[in-house]
Amino acid sequence: MTTRTLRALNETAGLLRGPQRIVPLIAKLASDELRTTFAARHLYSYTSATVQTASALQSVINWILRAQRGDGGIAAYYSFLSGYSVSYPEVTGYIIPTLYDFAQATGNPAVTHAAERATQWLLSVQMSLGAFAGGLHGTSRAQPSIFNTGQILQGLVRAHIESRSAQIMERAVAAGDWLVTVQQTDGAWSGPAAYQGSAHTYYSMVSWALAQLAAESHEPRHAAAANKNIDWVLKHAKPSGWIDGINLREHPLYLHFIAYVIQGILECGILLRREDAIVAAAKSAWVLLRKFETNKRLLGTYQPEFKAGSKFTCLTGNAQMSCVWLRLFEVTGDLRYLNAALKMNEMLKQLIALKGRREVVGGVAGSYPIWGAYQPMRLISWGGKFLADALLLEQRLTRQVEIDCDTKSKNSEADSEFKPEASQCAS
Amino acid sequence: MRVVILCSSPYSETGCAVAARMAQLGHIPVGALTLPPWDRSTLLRKIGQWGLRDSYKYAVAKLGPNKITNRTQIRNPYLEPFLRHEEGIFRSLQNVARQYGFSVVTCRNQNSQRAVDHMRQWSPDLAIFTGGNILRDEMLKIPRLGVLNSHLALLPEIRGMSSPEWSLLGGVPLGITIHRMDSGIDTGPIIVRRKFAAAHECASLVDLRNRMIAEGIERIGEAVKGLDLGSVTAVPQAKLENDSVFFVMHDRLKALAARSLLKSRLNPVAETCDG
Repeated sequence: MTTRTLRALNETAGLLRGPQRIVPLIAKLASDELRTTFAARHLYSYTSATVQTASALQSVINWILRAQRGDGGIAAYYSFLSGYSVSYPEVTGYIIPTLYDFAQATGNPAVTHAAERATQWLLSVQMSLGAFAGGLHGTSRAQPSIFNTGQILQGLVRAHIESRSAQIMERAVAAGDWLVTVQQTDGAWSGPAAYQGSAHTYYSMVSWALAQLAAESHEPRHAAAANKNIDWVLKHAKPSGWIDGINLREHPLYLHFIAYVIQGILECGILLRREDAIVAAAKSAWVLLRKFETNKRLLGTYQPEFKAGSKFTCLTGNAQMSCVWLRLFEVTGDLRYLNAALKMNEMLKQLIALKGRREVVGGVAGSYPIWGAYQPMRLISWGGKFLADALLLEQRLTRQVEIDCDTKSKNSEADSEFKPEASQCAS
Repeated sequence: MRVVILCSSPYSETGCAVAARMAQLGHIPVGALTLPPWDRSTLLRKIGQWGLRDSYKYAVAKLGPNKITNRTQIRNPYLEPFLRHEEGIFRSLQNVARQYGFSVVTCRNQNSQRAVDHMRQWSPDLAIFTGGNILRDEMLKIPRLGVLNSHLALLPEIRGMSSPEWSLLGGVPLGITIHRMDSGIDTGPIIVRRKFAAAHECASLVDLRNRMIAEGIERIGEAVKGLDLGSVTAVPQAKLENDSVFFVMHDRLKALAARSLLKSRLNPVAETCDG
């Protein structure tokens, strides 16, 4: 029997330990079955959610706060079978910026406090060499992990920006320096601290963290490492927009990883002012945008060159793509990115439970339907993180675009007295 | 010219108006190929676009026992001049077909063998697309002069869907393009391309769209006449650096487009531009 099967059986046995989860599980299975059976999709359609963005966002953040464990770390998931997992350092790290963003947008001090608790917990589990261990906290022998260290670094950098704490900065630099030390000469990260020992293009997310660190540390080595990795990642870009080299054995190419590659490249492109990276990310993101607009959904997995994979939906990947499209709108001003993201967010908002057991309300499932291959039967905290990011971006950018359109209307009114050839209000 | 009309439903007002207009201009409608009235995707699409109440009103107007006699019973009132005849107003393709003597064929897919066979049998000079399936090459190649489509924006700048709304938001002048369809999305060669000058008269996006549809039918007439006389040729579209396909617009952006339209009502001078 494989490890994976044993793990699945163990998780299923969780139902015996927590029979109170049976009713929510059945309710979720039934609602996803009904929704997938009757959902109407045609060329002119898009999902229209009844819930407002602000209340969906509040709901998702509340779910994340409930997933924060006693030690300050955030659980990886809530399983309909076995309940909450223990704290997960990686996700705890990159949820910190989301919590701060939400706290700033709403002025909610409880959320700031949650981010501070999460930061303190991370500092307490950092390894002496500066790295962070992979996996759930305390469940296996601690081994330094490049990817997880990069993801946590995002949180530490943001915590430093918010607190201006020298201690946090020192720890962030230690993590960044460790990442620089273990980088290969070609710019990739591989070796024992890399997942499955191999180099992966989705480690562009690590570069993003290093680029964020460089902006605060002003240490050229951090930016140089990020640039070097992005150079390596961009060598994997194909003319079709596909970026090769996710390179995961025994895993299909989940949209989550594809979106990581794009998101990492794009954010590095923005921070490091690299047009080539932004163009590559935009090319890839545009292919997925067209697929989403035409088919009204993105698939849970793709084959190389964006060939169709599994039919379930990977909600995290969808939320990540929404973030990518929103950022591309911000960078390029192309409203088609905003348009796709608005529709994607509608779909994601509609799939959040707004009532029921508190562990379930506001949670984002790994897969839709819930029995899909990506994190089946689980509500995952990184899904909540990316959806919250997408909704926060949506709020900020739609506000901005409305202001811009009004301003341009006014300017154009004034201009038209002198320029009769002026056309309509352009955004 | 022998013309075939392609429609998404036998109750399509646009389809009826195009068929009637072609006949009024002296062309010969030889057939119409339509999807069934109860086609699930068409029904869902219409309900999605119009809402349940308006869809119900539309169904009552088209299927009820009483004849349509005034323009308030037409969903797009600007089509009235095309739809009016001695006994009232056409409310289905069957009405138009009876008046002008052509057959209406209903098929589940306009690319099906049955549809292709009918099209071959009619042997039209050209076909006019007002709705239905995305047509395959086999169907597109049957009419001698191709299949025409009225696109509610200037091509190649704005391809795809919600095109008037995207024009408004993108600062592209509103316009109508009659083009010959090919296998791409609005990529076929252009026959007529005209700016739409009446935006300042439009009360809403729906009103704008309705007026543009009616204007598009006039431009189709112009294109068919030009093709008939040999005075116009289809010009391949200029290649643009960026992909110019647009997709269905989200309601929040539509609200911005509506504000843009309102702006053009307040400032009609801006609409008179040419180029």
